[in-house]
Amino acid sequence: MGDGITAVRQAYLHDRRVGRFVKFAALLSLFAFGFWSIDVLQIPIDRVLGMFGRVGNMVWQRLLPPDLVYATSASVIYAVLETIEMSLLGSFIGTLITLPLAWFAAWNLTPDRVFLYPMARLIIVVSRSLPSLMAAMLLVAVFGFGPFAGMLALVVGTIGFAGKLMAEQAETINMGPVDAVRATGAGKLKVFIYGIFPQLKPSWYGIVIYNWDARLRSSTILGFVGAGGIGLHLRERISVLEYHGAMGIIVIIIVLVVASEAMSHFLRKRYY
Amino acid sequence: MSRVIVAAEGNPLRDRGTLLKRYAFYAVVLCAVTAMGVHLIVFGTDWGRMGTFADVFGIIMNLAPSLAFMPKIIGPLLQTLLMAFWGTLLAVLLSIPVFYLAASNITPYMMLTYPLGRGLIVVSRSTHEIIFALIYVAALGLGPLPGILALASRSVGFMAKTTAEAIENIDRGPIEAIEATGAGPIKRFLFGVVPQVLPVFIGNAIFQLDINIRRAAILGMVGAGGIGLYFAEQMKIYEYGNASACVLGVVLLVIIGEFVSNRVRTKLISG
Repeated sequence: MGDGITAVRQAYLHDRRVGRFVKFAALLSLFAFGFWSIDVLQIPIDRVLGMFGRVGNMVWQRLLPPDLVYATSASVIYAVLETIEMSLLGSFIGTLITLPLAWFAAWNLTPDRVFLYPMARLIIVVSRSLPSLMAAMLLVAVFGFGPFAGMLALVVGTIGFAGKLMAEQAETINMGPVDAVRATGAGKLKVFIYGIFPQLKPSWYGIVIYNWDARLRSSTILGFVGAGGIGLHLRERISVLEYHGAMGIIVIIIVLVVASEAMSHFLRKRYY
Repeated sequence: MSRVIVAAEGNPLRDRGTLLKRYAFYAVVLCAVTAMGVHLIVFGTDWGRMGTFADVFGIIMNLAPSLAFMPKIIGPLLQTLLMAFWGTLLAVLLSIPVFYLAASNITPYMMLTYPLGRGLIVVSRSTHEIIFALIYVAALGLGPLPGILALASRSVGFMAKTTAEAIENIDRGPIEAIEATGAGPIKRFLFGVVPQVLPVFIGNAIFQLDINIRRAAILGMVGAGGIGLYFAEQMKIYEYGNASACVLGVVLLVIIGEFVSNRVRTKLISG
């Protein structure tokens, strides 16, 4: 009996020792990885040590207080409206393109598994992995400066974001009604409209609203590369070292994003 | 008699008012979309500068990724990956005090610290990483260090928000049991709260790592290190082929990152 207890106790101590060793080894390799990263990234250590003072100085003396007179001037308000317009139009057009793509990219519904399914998946995956600022810069190169390029970048963002979520939702539907509509001899489009879409309506509407919210977030900085909206003003203020004005714009952006998030939350709670 | 006529006029399941409201809604949406489209696309674009269809097509042809540039971007891509990793790790560490303040059931002073924690989360979540990067670059100079800080600042909000919500939804039982042994607040937190939220926390950290790879890729465009710098440089000298090689590299990196992150999180949840 006593032997058994000793054995258990010894096994416990052994486990604890092994656990400690593993933890120690993990911590040690993390440190080694850290030093290697500092070397690869060429991070200046003296700057790391002085960084709190410098960032604090930047925030308290050069950014605060925000220049709200500039931030509520007519040109900024116009840029805010342009940003909202870009996000709405980009989401709208993007959603129209996403609807068929999401249908093709859902394995259980896709009309063609050999060609359309992989194509739709590829388009969604690539749009999703393409950072919107890079897409905007490329589109500015093709279509010139202005909100049109920014709107197209938001269309790409919508395809990647909403496409994935919509296709995932579509893969969870109940196939019973779909088969029932199909049994009436309806074509593929009618099966979609009467058998599939009614089941997906609530979740898809929610995704569309959520997507608009996310697009508004990314549209606030598209102006950085000349693709329209409030980002251009931010860039201007920073390049002339007018940080109080820049902070005013940042405040405006935060207000805009918080308002859109509250609105999207409200719409999703209220209706779907 | 009248019922038959009503039935003959349309679908009896839908009453007139609902239909009218619906069509009015469609009409408003259509008008708004047209107005915005005209404003942004027709007046907002410099059509003269864009040139003819052939010019546009020529530029698009130039965008084919040049494979000769691919070996040169491996280093910057590695840098991007490292920035994402350290930014996420820093965010994980920084989120601990923030979620402690922002979880309504463990926050020390409800009137004071709870709004503070929530405020930090809102600021972190609604400010774009590029804006953080600009501030840090202005304060600390060029390089990956401001990029890492920008990623950390941006991710703290998400980590703290999800963790605070997980803490608010925990089971009180284990905490009361530990309290009954006479444990203090720190031990109650370590043995009552942490085991319940740790899987969620780790899952979200991996998710953030995956998102941060995407974010790190563009930070270089404002001088905060990584592949974005090379991309912006190549765009400035009109080497579109090289620039789209950078984009291709980013897309591949992000796809691999997302795949690995999904695998690891599924493993974490299932066993």
